[in-house]
Amino acid sequence: MNNVGLTQYLLIGAVLFVSGVVCMAIKRNAIGVLMGVELVLNGATVNFAAFARFHDAFRVEGQIFALFTIVLAAAEAAIALAIVLNFYNNYLTVDVDSAEELRG
Amino acid sequence: MLENPGWLFVGATLLPLVSFLLLLIGGRHWGRAAGWIATAAIGAAFVLSLIGATLYLPYSGWFAHHHHGHHHSAGHEKHEQHAGPAQKAGHEHDHEHVTLAQREPGVPPWQGGLIWAKVSTGEPGQATGLRLGFYVDGLTVAMFVMITLVATLIHIFSTGYMAEELQDEVHDHQAHVVRAGRYPRFFTYMSLFCFSMLNLVLADNLFQIFISWELVGICSYLLIGYYYERRSASNAANKAFITNRVGDAGFIIGAAILWTYCGTLTLPDTVREQRNAKGEVVRVVEPGLFSRLRMPATDSHGTPLPAQLDEYIGNFARVEPISERSSGDAATRYRFSSSGPYVLLFTADHFHGEDLVLDDGISASTSPSATGLSVMPYWALVLAGIGVFLGCVGKSAQFPLHVWLPDAMEGPTPVSALIHAATMVAAGVYLVGRAFPMFTSEVLLVIAYVGAITLFVAATIALVQTDIKKVLAYSTVSQLGFMMLALGVGGWIAGLFHLLTHAFFKALLFLGSGSVIHGCHHEQDMMKMGGLYDKMKITALTMLVGVLAIAGAPLFSGWYSKDAIMVSALSFVVHYPQHMLLFLLPLITVAMTAFYMFRLWYLTFTGEPRDEHVYEHAHESPAVMTVPLIVLAFFSVTVAWGWPPWDAHASALEHYLDHEMPIYLHPDPDNRQVDKFLAPVRKYAEQPEAFPNVQLPEPHALAGLLALLSAGIGFLLATTVYYWGYLDPEGTRQQFASVYDFLWEKWHFDELYRWIAVRPALVLARVCRWFDLNVIDGLVDGSARATVRVSQWDGKFDLGIIDGLVNLTADVIYAVGAWLRNVQTGFLRNYVLFLALAAVGIFALVSYILALVG
Repeated sequence: MNNVGLTQYLLIGAVLFVSGVVCMAIKRNAIGVLMGVELVLNGATVNFAAFARFHDAFRVEGQIFALFTIVLAAAEAAIALAIVLNFYNNYLTVDVDSAEELRG
Repeated sequence: MLENPGWLFVGATLLPLVSFLLLLIGGRHWGRAAGWIATAAIGAAFVLSLIGATLYLPYSGWFAHHHHGHHHSAGHEKHEQHAGPAQKAGHEHDHEHVTLAQREPGVPPWQGGLIWAKVSTGEPGQATGLRLGFYVDGLTVAMFVMITLVATLIHIFSTGYMAEELQDEVHDHQAHVVRAGRYPRFFTYMSLFCFSMLNLVLADNLFQIFISWELVGICSYLLIGYYYERRSASNAANKAFITNRVGDAGFIIGAAILWTYCGTLTLPDTVREQRNAKGEVVRVVEPGLFSRLRMPATDSHGTPLPAQLDEYIGNFARVEPISERSSGDAATRYRFSSSGPYVLLFTADHFHGEDLVLDDGISASTSPSATGLSVMPYWALVLAGIGVFLGCVGKSAQFPLHVWLPDAMEGPTPVSALIHAATMVAAGVYLVGRAFPMFTSEVLLVIAYVGAITLFVAATIALVQTDIKKVLAYSTVSQLGFMMLALGVGGWIAGLFHLLTHAFFKALLFLGSGSVIHGCHHEQDMMKMGGLYDKMKITALTMLVGVLAIAGAPLFSGWYSKDAIMVSALSFVVHYPQHMLLFLLPLITVAMTAFYMFRLWYLTFTGEPRDEHVYEHAHESPAVMTVPLIVLAFFSVTVAWGWPPWDAHASALEHYLDHEMPIYLHPDPDNRQVDKFLAPVRKYAEQPEAFPNVQLPEPHALAGLLALLSAGIGFLLATTVYYWGYLDPEGTRQQFASVYDFLWEKWHFDELYRWIAVRPALVLARVCRWFDLNVIDGLVDGSARATVRVSQWDGKFDLGIIDGLVNLTADVIYAVGAWLRNVQTGFLRNYVLFLALAAVGIFALVSYILALVG
């Protein structure tokens, strides 16, 4: 277990990130898209934490940015949920494909 | 200023100019006051002239010398005032002589002036140019007094004669129009005329004379065309102006020739102040035209010229080039020759008498030189004289340019009296008299013959005219011819003497005719008058005085001056018998003058009224018109009187002028400068006893008797036909119908000029019009069309290329935008996909670049 290093953490972060992006790309449900966003943010948080642990230059900054990201995710989730609820009130659905008014 | 009384005359000249400017600005609102202003200005000018004349009298021939008089040789001293530069430059033998440069400004001739347009002569310290100056000698004084006196009287007369122009509405029965009165305008023009005329007499150089010459011309034009609604009046104005252009072209050519060869247009010598090398102000004598053209008696150092040059002194020094040139000497040398092709021009200084008689000739340049001798071709001098005389021919209505003056009678009668009888038309005579020393013998003969032809032709036409003013107009032309003839035959005094007397009696006659016309409500045809004596006694009697004066009745002023002319003509033909006509024509014309003048008076004032309507309404003119008539009648009798009055050659005015004669005409034994062509003529006129081989009675008695006889015949004939009625004029007319028609048609001069001048001018005008319409306008229109065409192409280029490029840019951007629209699907998941793909793309690109760089 001693050979668990930075590479493994970055791999987990990348897997989380890609999972989140794929989730956002394929889910039609708005909630599902939000979950994908959370995954992407968490992938980034894992990267910050890993750099804080394995790189002396980011000892403090990595941890602070990880905390910021968590707070950001919470705020983003609150706002996004509010939008989703409003959207639902208007369209009686949470299918993001029916939100196409911004089409050029 | 007062030390030089010449300024008085400058003031007298400027007063009418002030009046003109005042009237020009506000005259139209002033009504009757406009006439008063103009009259006051010319009246004040008369007073100034009179003061000037009083100051001049002590220097005049009457008082300045012990011996004066017709039969006496004029003393040596009297020449001083007209001396050439040599005499002014100093005189060894006579210490009383003062040079022109040293002379007090109070001693006449009073001079002054300035150069207003400087011309460089190319020599240091020499300035020449166009002068604005005044030259007051006895002739100027006499002319000033005459002009201002006659003009004042005519102004007063005009305030009455022109009174109907004061109305707001004037009915012009000839033009059939109703128009506003133009009273102030008349006096505005009259003031301008008075200024111009006085300036003409005052001027000391040909250019200033020319300016005034044109100014009086335009005044004449404006006043002839005063009733411009009448077609005849505007045509007459044009005719006068255009005819005068012919003469003035000659004048300007003559002046240009003189300027080219002499470098100056100033007639007398003038004094200029300049600083010398030490910085002191010295007075330098600048020679005028006369001094340059005529050979002085002494050189510039006061030494009399050698006796071998006597033939040339006072004359034009004709020289011929010496054919063989000495080697190395570029300048041509000349020697004297009485028929040489060149004339030597002299300077005020820098020439010695001995230089003129050198064996190897005289050195002279061909361009005007202020410091040395120069030459000019003799033919150019003759041409210059004829040119200047041509100007006088136009202005004084001499043959062949006399046709304008009778038509000029379309102007108001006071204008006819002032401009076309007393003053302006005499300006030509005055200029011939003033410029007399520059005329060669050829020019003098031309002047004499032109005068002789004019006086005869005009008198014959006057015989048959029925318009009262036309008779007077032809009479004026004829009398001006008498003056020209007198000047041409060397009767300088006689010509100018007749000018002065004629001014008074002709102004009187014109004003008298104006009074008749005014009293008959603008009827001018004598055939509708008759018997008017009872209605207008003052006018009739004063006019009778004028008639007697012009006919040459003894004791009337015309008698003295006409006698002087006849004596001059007789003296001339005695010495040049081939020119006999110069005496015979005036002799016959004296009879015709008496005939047509008495015919005029009888037809107007005596006999039965021929038109009841005119007679019924005829009335005497108001005092403002008759008083000037009486004053003029007084002067018409007395102006030439001397003591005793019954001696035709004791006239005081004639002796006054005697003193003013150019030195070249004085036939004294001690006057070396006498003109060789006229010397025997003048000597015979003044001292006939010196010519024992001439088998003729004493010339004064002979000429006077013949003239009196001639006038008596004319008077008797007129009385027989028109007063006693022994001869029926109608029958005579039918008997000599062809002659009558010829005279009635004025010798067909108008037709002649219509064919040789007017018609060709009209043809030329039509050709020019065609050329203008087709060629000039064609060119203009063509260029306009070309411009339109170019503009069209330019418009297409602008719309197609420039705007096309701008629109293309916009279109491309629009197309790109429209294409990019497709990317904006609005589907959230697509955006995510693009983000992811873009991120991958960026990574791939950065990796690729890093790999390349690495």
